Amino acid sequence: MNKRYKATLAALATTALISIGSGAALAQQYDIDIWFVGGDSDSYRGEAIEIAADFLQREAAVRGEDLSINVVTKSFSGWEEMKQGVTLAAEAGAAPAIVAAGHEDIAPWAQSGLIVPIEDYIDVDAWPVNDIYPNLLEIASFDGQLYGLPQDAESRPFFFWKDYMREIGYSDADIDGLPDLIQSGGYTLQDVLADAKKIQDAGLVAEGYGFYPRVSNGPDYWQFYTSFGGTIENDEGKLVFDKEAMTGFYQFFVDAVELGVTRKNHLGTPWDQWYAEVANGKAGLWHGGTWHYARYTGKEGQDDFFGNIQFSLIPAGNAGGQPNTLTHPVVYLLTQQENDDAIAIAADLVKIASEPRINALHAIKSAHLGITKAESSVDLYAGDRWAREATERLLPFATAMPNNVNFGQYWEIMFGGLEASWTGQKTVAAAIADVETELATTLGDDIVIR
Amino acid sequence: MTGNYRKWPMILFLGILTAPIILMYFYLFVDTVTNSPPGSMIPNEWTAEHWRFLFTTIPGRPSIWTATLNTLLFATTTTSIVLVVSSAAGYALSRLNMPGRSLFLGGVLVLHAFPTVTLLIAIFLILQMVGLYNTLIGVILVKTALELPFGIWIMKGFYDTVPWEIEMAGLQDGATRFQVWTKLVLPQVKPAIMALGIFSFLAGWSEFILPLVLAPDNNVQVLSVYLAGLISDDTNFDMAMFKSVGVFYVLPVIILFTFFQSKLMNIYSGGNKG
Amino acid sequence: MGNSNAEIAASGRVSAPDLRGGAPQLTRLQKIGNSRHLGLYLMAPAFLFVVLFFVAPVLLTGVFGFTNMSTATGISGGAYLANQSSMRALRDKHDFGELADQINRVVFTIDEAGLEAAAQAGASAATLKELNAKFFGQSFGKRRDVERAIKTLDNRPSSTRAIKAISKHFERSVFNIRFDSADDLLAALNKFGISLDPQQQAAVIDVTYTGWVFTTDNFKRMISLPDTRTTLYNTLFYVFTTLILFNVGFALVLAISTHYMDAAPAGFFRSVWLLPRITPPVLYVLMWKWLAWDTGFISAVLGPFGIAPKNWMLDSPTNAWTFIILINGMVGASMGMLIFASAIKAIPTSLFYASEVDGATRAQQIRHIILPQLRFPILFITSYQTLSLLTSFEFILLATEGGPGGSTEVWALSTYFKALNNYAGSLEYGYGAALALVLVVVGVAMSILYLKLFDFKTLTAPPKIE
Repeated sequence: MNKRYKATLAALATTALISIGSGAALAQQYDIDIWFVGGDSDSYRGEAIEIAADFLQREAAVRGEDLSINVVTKSFSGWEEMKQGVTLAAEAGAAPAIVAAGHEDIAPWAQSGLIVPIEDYIDVDAWPVNDIYPNLLEIASFDGQLYGLPQDAESRPFFFWKDYMREIGYSDADIDGLPDLIQSGGYTLQDVLADAKKIQDAGLVAEGYGFYPRVSNGPDYWQFYTSFGGTIENDEGKLVFDKEAMTGFYQFFVDAVELGVTRKNHLGTPWDQWYAEVANGKAGLWHGGTWHYARYTGKEGQDDFFGNIQFSLIPAGNAGGQPNTLTHPVVYLLTQQENDDAIAIAADLVKIASEPRINALHAIKSAHLGITKAESSVDLYAGDRWAREATERLLPFATAMPNNVNFGQYWEIMFGGLEASWTGQKTVAAAIADVETELATTLGDDIVIR
Repeated sequence: MTGNYRKWPMILFLGILTAPIILMYFYLFVDTVTNSPPGSMIPNEWTAEHWRFLFTTIPGRPSIWTATLNTLLFATTTTSIVLVVSSAAGYALSRLNMPGRSLFLGGVLVLHAFPTVTLLIAIFLILQMVGLYNTLIGVILVKTALELPFGIWIMKGFYDTVPWEIEMAGLQDGATRFQVWTKLVLPQVKPAIMALGIFSFLAGWSEFILPLVLAPDNNVQVLSVYLAGLISDDTNFDMAMFKSVGVFYVLPVIILFTFFQSKLMNIYSGGNKG
Repeated sequence: MGNSNAEIAASGRVSAPDLRGGAPQLTRLQKIGNSRHLGLYLMAPAFLFVVLFFVAPVLLTGVFGFTNMSTATGISGGAYLANQSSMRALRDKHDFGELADQINRVVFTIDEAGLEAAAQAGASAATLKELNAKFFGQSFGKRRDVERAIKTLDNRPSSTRAIKAISKHFERSVFNIRFDSADDLLAALNKFGISLDPQQQAAVIDVTYTGWVFTTDNFKRMISLPDTRTTLYNTLFYVFTTLILFNVGFALVLAISTHYMDAAPAGFFRSVWLLPRITPPVLYVLMWKWLAWDTGFISAVLGPFGIAPKNWMLDSPTNAWTFIILINGMVGASMGMLIFASAIKAIPTSLFYASEVDGATRAQQIRHIILPQLRFPILFITSYQTLSLLTSFEFILLATEGGPGGSTEVWALSTYFKALNNYAGSLEYGYGAALALVLVVVGVAMSILYLKLFDFKTLTAPPKIE
């Protein structure tokens, strides 16, 4: 398959100005490992680096240097396993040169010296880095240094099954206007509960399928905290625990369970079941990510996505809340290596892999959003309705999780509290109190509790 | 052995309790070669598609054959080292008077009930220091070490049952203790070696957490990690294929079990042949 | 569960005393060959393994338990790094706001020293000459800006790396630079005109260190967290319920009922009940999931009766516990089954016949003949399975991951999550080690107790020939 891309990419050869070191023109051999999370649809997280390696070798050859790069890709099924693997491998001095990780890993990994800032190795004023959306570069930075390049962008929309909305009294015009209504705060999570209940009462979906959220821990849940006006980090870079917003957020899921529109044992549902159900009208309202589009229209066989499904921002939690969505870019990070030249090669590979045309392969195949402005001019990307509309409707309102050393702990504690109250192990008040105690003991001065 | 009681109530009673296990194993095999309509448990067609993993490598994962070879290497090497080391140490503890013997014996007893997995972080550090993190050899050494207290204890138990006369006769004939051990005593505990060997092999074949944490690399991946990876991959979920991989994985175990069941029972009931 | 070796090995000693009792008492033989040395040689490999992978890890875990080691601190040591968060701490914690502001900036200055250093490092003379001419004395607030300046030169280096090789020599601040030692950091600060009094020095060292430090906070945190208690109760519930219901209770049922069968059905049932033990855990748990999931067997069977499909395993804490205990119990039961069965087999058959002649019912036989014989094996199984259950988490990890809502999270699993496996990637080795240490202490204490209980002296009786 490489052949085809080689041909496609040949046109870009003149635009990328890469030179590697000032060493003599001896044969240089590098083994570059790239680790990422994902299955078949995310394969370009690794393959993009392979394409880039081919490119870099050609550039070296043009300069008369003999460069040989052997890219070894490894994909993990779960973030837990990859993060564990990277951390331990790094301690053992055997970290893969490139890791495609969540941006929130930058802070702890930078602090421990596991990763190095990519800006020490590439010219951030040069193509294609200068074309990457500035807010994404911001998300890939920590303490004022650019640590990695975003590998993809996305947002996490709220979904409605159009037919059921019609059945409970929404006109086509109402449904078309829903995204704008949500954006203006006129339709809140309380309305979500009411509509889910109506859909269920009308017998359109089964008990517990009115509102059908994500089945496992994920960045998605921070959106609901934001919906109720919560902030995760203040301007000073300190984490914030907003009790009121967190209470509203937990209470929302508890209310959904009590109304019967969400199942008490929903967390832990197998993903394959969940995908099959939401893609085929088994659920009324739900939320997911832009990449779900690939799964719904692909494996699950949803032929008329735009005809059947409406998507929008996550509604505000209540009248004073904030409609939002969250973008959680995966970032190519460079790990500390013994050989500085290897880091430089890895940096160049990441830079080339961020070319709009290469990045578009991943963006479209996995239904993520592009990272560069020029990507909109790549036919593959521009011709994709989902990428176009989702970018327009959602991305401007996207927040991101903070790059903060202690954020991971905060996250685990937040989800523990949500799980406990959702499953009825604790009342919301008790869960909030326990979360507060745990945050105070674990993070101490590093978190503002209000 | 006691003829006066009716037997069928017992058989019926146990039969009912055993049914779920039989059911699970039955469907494990059936589901790998058939398809069932949604919501039904009764297959309506035969198929070989669930076995496609044998011929095509799933992107980003090692080939099933690499994983199989690794698992085989892992299990056999672990077994060999466990056998050699524990038959030596077991003999020393059973028969030889040496300094610190009772201390060591007590240590072995304490260790074989030890929360080893909770030591993973520290074990990782040690592997890293000796440069064996993320290698098959590293995991083999750790697994061997964790199996040893058990192996030594079992071997000591079996040596204890060997009559002293054999050794004394050997010594009187002018053999050294070492010769007595290798030539005379070892053949006496062959059943033990066999049983411990099978047991260690099964333990190695099944091991999951150690390779998962200590050797994450694709080219050293073993079948348990391979299978768990498939299961937790939320975008490519396919229960029938998992089961097929599972059957592929468990077949050697079932075969070993069928052929060596009585030997294995030996070790489970601790070499008591009475 | 009980897949651990513990209970299996335990059984080894069930029979040992009887068999040794039968051995004849022997006189000491003359010493042929040096058995002391041979013993040491034979023990050496085992000793090495045990020291390397048991003793050393235990000691390390003991040390780690008293540190705040985590992903962010790294394991192998830290550096001294002035960055935004450490400077914020300098202001908030030590009240040196002004000093923090002084340190908290980036300065690049084109000066004599920088030009010289760059020249020494091999930068082209023409480039440096031009840089000197055009930008001497100028300061920049960002590395990016210096590099932009260098790129405007006619004699600019051809590669990005070469530009960066020049720019680094002009940095006149310590912000975002990792120093290997505190002295290096202080020296650098001093060089850039920021001199500190001893109190300030201590504060700067305190906040900029990125590595781990010794602390007893882990244990304070463990005690103060409400979830610790939940986990503790979960663990106790899990261990004792599984133990009583399956590892001992059901094992007895299996052993006794197969005793009253012909050899063929008895053998069949024993083999079937051994299957869960020999099946690799990953696959074994997958089969349970197939049974319990929404689209699984139970749901499909109950569907026609109007019961909506649901995830039976994660439906409620009660269901989750039921499955966890079944999953573990079915593996654990086989162990007791075999040991009890062999103990029953050792009862002289004449006893059974005699009692039958006396008209004893089956229940009476069980009560008066079988159970008294099993006292010792039961004690054994109880002791060792307590330990192995206490430290096992593999099945729970694979089946429920501690869910729903943490209701099946036991101590060992919680340790694994905290130290090595969580979604957000914040691995807390120190806290995890502290949790593990609790298990280690409990485990060792119980082992020693059991050794006392089962009369260690007879186990370690000295050899009969020398």
